[in-house]
Amino acid sequence: MSDQSENFIEQATAFQKIWMESMSKLMHAAFTFTPNSAPPELLRDIRNGILQALAESWNEFLRSPQFQDGMKQWMDNAVAFRKLSNDFMAKARKEMQAPSREDMDAVMLSVRHAETRILDRVEELAQQLNDLNQQPGGPARKSAPKPAGRRQRSARRPRQRAATNGKEKRP
Amino acid sequence: MTAATQFANPWFQWQQELLDQMRNNAERARVLPSLLERARRIRKGVSASEVVYEEDRFKLLHYVSDKKPRYRTPLVFVYALVNRPYILDLKKGRSVVAHFVEQGFDTYLVDWGVPTDADRHLTLDDYINGYLVNVMDFLRERTGIKQANVLGYCMGGTMSAMFSALHPERVRNLILLAAPIDFATQDGLLNVWTQSRNFDVDKFVDAFGNCPPEFLQASFLLLRPVQNLLRKPIDFCEHMHDEKYLDDFLATEAWLQDNIPVPGEVYREFVKYLYQQNRLTRGRMTVGKHIVKLENITCPVLNLMAGQDDLVPCAQSAPFNDFVGSRDRKSILVQQCGHIGLAIGGRAQKELWPQASEWLAKRDS
Repeated sequence: MSDQSENFIEQATAFQKIWMESMSKLMHAAFTFTPNSAPPELLRDIRNGILQALAESWNEFLRSPQFQDGMKQWMDNAVAFRKLSNDFMAKARKEMQAPSREDMDAVMLSVRHAETRILDRVEELAQQLNDLNQQPGGPARKSAPKPAGRRQRSARRPRQRAATNGKEKRP
Repeated sequence: MTAATQFANPWFQWQQELLDQMRNNAERARVLPSLLERARRIRKGVSASEVVYEEDRFKLLHYVSDKKPRYRTPLVFVYALVNRPYILDLKKGRSVVAHFVEQGFDTYLVDWGVPTDADRHLTLDDYINGYLVNVMDFLRERTGIKQANVLGYCMGGTMSAMFSALHPERVRNLILLAAPIDFATQDGLLNVWTQSRNFDVDKFVDAFGNCPPEFLQASFLLLRPVQNLLRKPIDFCEHMHDEKYLDDFLATEAWLQDNIPVPGEVYREFVKYLYQQNRLTRGRMTVGKHIVKLENITCPVLNLMAGQDDLVPCAQSAPFNDFVGSRDRKSILVQQCGHIGLAIGGRAQKELWPQASEWLAKRDS
């Protein structure tokens, strides 16, 4: 017998075991009640018991290696399919002489790298300026030093709405 | 036959139940046609607010009140990147934001906005050392106060903790609400599913770019399949004639279905460095060029957790207080509460939030 069919049988057995246990829990929950319960309440208790047992079985199943293997396989397939469709679209756009997602990503990455380099340099300069200001006899410090880790994302000043002008009251 | 024996007789009880059910069914039939219309009328955020700061897709909302704030330090709510932030202001009587505004806090809410494909390269560095730092600078200019109180929910809590560790001089008090910090635990299904042997996040992000909202939605649904796919519809059918239940249900469901994509690089960092490598509690988490050291957090800390949280189990949030350098630290665990219930649940509104606002008020006066 091939490894694949053995693996399949193993998975099927584990799956069957989980469901057999689940059914036995269901039966147990359905017929465990106190004789003093009123009938409508009793039905609700039975239903709650069944749902509780089901929830526990599902939780067990969702943690099982069988489910994890299945999930991994499903994810791999989804990723492979997405790559395939990305490649197809890239080719189609190339034929039409239109920019593809990859091209845009490449541009975005270049901009990001440029931005990072500029911001790093600005941080360095700010630090140097701060050090100069700290030196005795250096220029008087006008503002508090910028703490480490500060990163101004955009070179332009952030847009800011005055409370009176840009009021977007909800409701 | 006396009334007492009538009630003890199962036959009478069955009949009574049958009549009740018939009456309820008539009510349900009356409600059914207007359901869609009611769902459409659900408002996203109920408290009066104004946008005071914008940057790219990011917005900072300020909640306006007729009364002057009693406490001067601004309180900033930081929500996760996976959903919309209006869960914190869902509806009247279930709004965390409204509670703090009523208590006299000068309240702000961070709305990260909906990322587009162009935002797939945004990293935690951009959010924490970029947007959040800019917000704090803006608030300093606006209020004249150098520090702010920060309240982070879920992933927003993790980000708030990182921010507080990197910029301790900017945070006066830190409140975390169901925030995942220690990812060593396998209590939650997400921790199991995201293990590196099960999930190759690099391949996923390379192929998809941003993490699709449908994928996140399906993952959250699968955390409690019986609850979400069986119990919830049954409960809905049973209680849909109850106006209050229906209002709560529609508001919560509208929010739950309102997922947004997560920027690809942030998703990669979160899964790889936190879920898979648990770098934050090991002192090896890097945000940009800086290492996050939780012991740098020395401000008062309040850690709020839910006992029935499937998304962020207590074991993931509770260790936070052991890692920080603060001497003033407190945890509150609400046992009969889930992840969302911690914010909008009736018990949380009655018991948890008054305690939290009192804790904050004491440290802000």
